[in-house]
Amino acid sequence: MKCLVFFEAIMVDVAVVGAGQTKYGNHPLGLKGMWAEAASKAFASIDGDFEPGAVQEAFIGSTAFGGSQLGNMSALLTEHSGMDGVAVRRVENACASSGFAFRDAWMAIKSGQADVVIAGGIVKMNDLSPERKRYWLGVSGDTEWERLAGLTFPGTYALMARRYFHEFDASHDDLVHVSVKNHMHGSMNPDAHIQKEVSFEKAAGGFMVADPLTLYDCCPTSDGASCVVLVADHLAHKFTDTPVWVKGAGAASDHLALHDRPSITQLKATQAAASRAYDMAGLTPRQIDLAEVHDCFTIAEVLATEDLGFAQRGEGGRFARAGEGRINEGTTTVNSSGGLKSKGHPLGATGTGQVVEVFKQLRNQVEIKRQVRDAETALTHNVGGSGATCSVHVFGRER
Amino acid sequence: MMTTEVWMGYLAHHESDYTVIQSPFVLDGVRVFGADSDATTLAVAALLHRLNHETISMVSVPEGIDGSSLSAATGVALLGEEREEASPWELLMSDEAIVVVARKNARVEIPMLDVEVEVDRGFHDALEAAWERELSEEHVSQGAYVSRAQYDEAAAPRLQLHGQSKGEVTVWPPRFTHLVDGEVTSEKTLQRRGKVLTWTTLSAAGAPSEFSLRAPVLGGVSTVLLALHDGPNGVFLTVDDEEIEFEMDAPMELVFRRLYAQEGFVRYGLKARAIHD
Repeated sequence: MKCLVFFEAIMVDVAVVGAGQTKYGNHPLGLKGMWAEAASKAFASIDGDFEPGAVQEAFIGSTAFGGSQLGNMSALLTEHSGMDGVAVRRVENACASSGFAFRDAWMAIKSGQADVVIAGGIVKMNDLSPERKRYWLGVSGDTEWERLAGLTFPGTYALMARRYFHEFDASHDDLVHVSVKNHMHGSMNPDAHIQKEVSFEKAAGGFMVADPLTLYDCCPTSDGASCVVLVADHLAHKFTDTPVWVKGAGAASDHLALHDRPSITQLKATQAAASRAYDMAGLTPRQIDLAEVHDCFTIAEVLATEDLGFAQRGEGGRFARAGEGRINEGTTTVNSSGGLKSKGHPLGATGTGQVVEVFKQLRNQVEIKRQVRDAETALTHNVGGSGATCSVHVFGRER
Repeated sequence: MMTTEVWMGYLAHHESDYTVIQSPFVLDGVRVFGADSDATTLAVAALLHRLNHETISMVSVPEGIDGSSLSAATGVALLGEEREEASPWELLMSDEAIVVVARKNARVEIPMLDVEVEVDRGFHDALEAAWERELSEEHVSQGAYVSRAQYDEAAAPRLQLHGQSKGEVTVWPPRFTHLVDGEVTSEKTLQRRGKVLTWTTLSAAGAPSEFSLRAPVLGGVSTVLLALHDGPNGVFLTVDDEEIEFEMDAPMELVFRRLYAQEGFVRYGLKARAIHD
């Protein structure tokens, strides 16, 4: 018991005091330039004086995609962003890389080992030939069984979608509603990869990629970098009057391959991660004002709304149909940034990119049409592969 | 007693001393391999058919058949060349898409069958050309890479559906801990049957890059998730040489076919085909 008391005594709260990202899409710069841009924006967003040299630990999520530095990338990036000498490492958990980088950064502070930490992510995807790009897009799935069975991630999520339609009152139209909503949100986001709305008819009739998923069900392949600055509670108000507090954190894993999972219409890793994050935050799903969820494919958002507790099991399709995730129209706004579908999905950068959106929303710093009114709480949900890894974080304006 | 039947998508003809497996596909009167078949896939079908009737522990294999994959798929050992004369069973190949498993020195007569599926020459030639390119040593695809060592390590689970069991619980593919609920399990060979849980067809443009040469000819690649008869689920490509109309819960069987080639080495596996009982 004495040990437990001591452990609790050194626990500190963690705040996000700065966050920045590049515009997602076909970025003109390479890895170093993109990272420098994201880090600079994060540092510039800090209200008080801040020196990059103050960063004690750095966690950078990446799948090391693209035609540039692969190994030891993180040291190169911090070298080009004024953080020479910092203890840095790359975090790799597929598309959840920077969600876990953020978790690692949070743990570093929470454990008392550091006071000022950055978490970020980066991926350069569009400097590759289509052949090489498809290679990288497949390496995070189950190679030995699923990939040899011809599956890519669109294929894997297509299997989930068709099964979901079979098990519940849902159809492809529900996925179209997700696509239309996220394009609408993304059209108002200057950092989004695809900044245009799409009609229901156009999204419903898209080119078939992996039956039943069409082009409008799939996120784009984006370049991008994102970076956030986390500090211990005693430093938070030195840097800003409006820190965003990390109120809950959860993470979990599941079988890598779909065929090993008892159900393919729910992500157990999401459910477990969310449960831990909600418990730690002392909040319920209905108390979350906005959520950035991992909609790499539209069916993923439908499943996420259920697994995160915004909709009952089997009701994710109805949630989408009813437009409950639209900005300021339902209890919880889902993907105000446009989500992966419209904002873009630079794999390793996505998790901390979600935190950038949440940071700005909770500080009333996004474009007026996109601002979630009176937002007090927010959630980020970052998934690796088809659900093998997941991190969930709950944020609040209040500590 | 002479019998002929459809077996694993091929035509099987059984005699007391031999079994003949013929491709159903014909081009200009000559039997040709289907889109994902070759001599090895026909040889595996021949041996598995014969094993339904008697025990075969060893077989001699001619050049042109992947003995390693054949042995992994059937559990039948390969007889080394130095002991050729002692081989009780041998595999024989034809100029056409026909393979025979026969007792040594048996008098084999290839039956003339009137079951034929005429294939389109353009389709056949395009696929042959794609396989030839894929099989060349120089062809190093950008696909997710499964090395020879990795392929060999999982050969028995992949090609024979070797799993693990303990009581009511069956696990496949097997776990390296060889544990289920913390206890030692026994090996179990699963039946090659299951029912459809879900499926998808990837467009040619969206197919994995290791399938990129053949997918445009085939019009995409299809994958099913099956609930295997013995309990576990498995994900499988469907056979390339048959049209399949998918349906939830429809029964399918698993047959041995070519998956893809890389660096001159064919990766074989089990593919799903519809059962029409």
